[in-house]
Amino acid sequence: MSSKKKKHKRHGKQQTRAHAPAAKINQALQPEKAKNPPARQPAAGNRSAAAARIDWFSNLNQETEHTVMTRNVSKIYHLGEETVHALDDVSVTIDRGEYISIMGPSGSGKTTLFNIVGALLKPNEGNVFIDEVDVAQLDANELAWLRCRKIGYIFQSYNIVKVFTALENVTLPMLFAGVPPDEAQDRAINILERVGLGDRILHTPKELSGGQQQRVAIARAFANRPAIILADEPTANLDLHTGEEIIHLMKEMNREQGVTVICATHDHKMLDISDRIIWMEDGRVKKIANRDEVKIDIAEMREK
Amino acid sequence: MIRKTSQAEWEIGELALKPGLVLSMAFSSLKIRLTRTFLTVLTITTASGFMMYLLTMPRSDDPVDRDGWLLMLGLCLLVCAAGVMNTMLMSVAQRYREIGTMKCLGALDSFVLFSVIAESAIIGAVGSIAGIILGLLITTLIGAAEYGSGMFSYLRFDGMTVKILIVICVGMSLTAMGASIPAWIASKMPPMDAMRGEK
Repeated sequence: MSSKKKKHKRHGKQQTRAHAPAAKINQALQPEKAKNPPARQPAAGNRSAAAARIDWFSNLNQETEHTVMTRNVSKIYHLGEETVHALDDVSVTIDRGEYISIMGPSGSGKTTLFNIVGALLKPNEGNVFIDEVDVAQLDANELAWLRCRKIGYIFQSYNIVKVFTALENVTLPMLFAGVPPDEAQDRAINILERVGLGDRILHTPKELSGGQQQRVAIARAFANRPAIILADEPTANLDLHTGEEIIHLMKEMNREQGVTVICATHDHKMLDISDRIIWMEDGRVKKIANRDEVKIDIAEMREK
Repeated sequence: MIRKTSQAEWEIGELALKPGLVLSMAFSSLKIRLTRTFLTVLTITTASGFMMYLLTMPRSDDPVDRDGWLLMLGLCLLVCAAGVMNTMLMSVAQRYREIGTMKCLGALDSFVLFSVIAESAIIGAVGSIAGIILGLLITTLIGAAEYGSGMFSYLRFDGMTVKILIVICVGMSLTAMGASIPAWIASKMPPMDAMRGEK
């Protein structure tokens, strides 16, 4: 924790220095923001599920479906007397089926954005919409349902339940979702075969390599057929070759199932297959680039 | 809540707590930490054995003596509860990451809460049953040594069903109570903090 705190502290100081110009860049680089009118703000204090219906989607551009949308999201950490802006007025829109990479140096707010989009953290300001539902209006049970059915998480350190077999790990989210055990098992076997672990379904994580464990994690993330896959540096603990395999597997699953993949990463291998890349710096979106602009962008980034 | 989007309609559902899943989670957790489970069971066994012994041995005529035994029993149960709490705190602390992961997968707070309490209650049940057997054994042995063949007229082997139920109830509620604080801590932990392995 202490190292994490320090990081935030450092970038908090930088941020106060470069506040105004960065905000301008942020706005200039976001055509999406202008395209969609801002969502109607929900009434404060009215948090019941029924009241959460916001009829703002009729205002939307009907051509695309926005799987994830953040509106002016800010996250502030109070560390003693210091206030740290981990995220400052971030608005991004991500469409269905896109493969997005979020890049940026450590402490740039990548992970915070990732956690807020994943409904794991609450922003101090702004709204997060997942499949066009405002996350802030959901109660604890509905949030659990959202995490269970709409979002699949893939982590840097795999986070497979160590004492369960690969099969049990993939079955677990389906059992949480209320799938009958037999059906859950059949589906889990299918998914494990799909990720190339058909012969290892009864192995525990101890008996699996890092790459194989990450495959189990991918299978688990896809188990409930989510709308979004959130991957937090999924290849950081893997060697080059295995990392590439994992990246391609994620891309294939993204294409096959039409799942939106959002991936926080340092890995430049990831750029080739991303539809769009979001660069973050000091808690703000510095730049959003399409794949065809990527090569230039890398050159630009290197110059700086 | 039903949301219509431009392409699909979907509904935010409710997740139900599944008692079967809670129990299997509790059992697997106990199985993994078998040595420590065994030690905790042993403390419950000792305490409930002592309780059973007091319930079946002839009642002392001396009220001071009787109070002394009750005080000892109370202390014994208190130490036991503290031990269980310590064990469960350890068990939860070891699993912060696991609990956080499961919350990301859709585990409800109540799932985490009840699986920790169930884990502890199972320890309580097994421990008290073993304690009942131990207590009765000791009573019989001491009775046989002191009173010989006429021991059954002295020993209070009447109303055994009630006595057994009392011991099991005390054992299970003791462990469940000891686990309640750790279980609460675990269930209220935000998933992200749990993933980092902090409190």
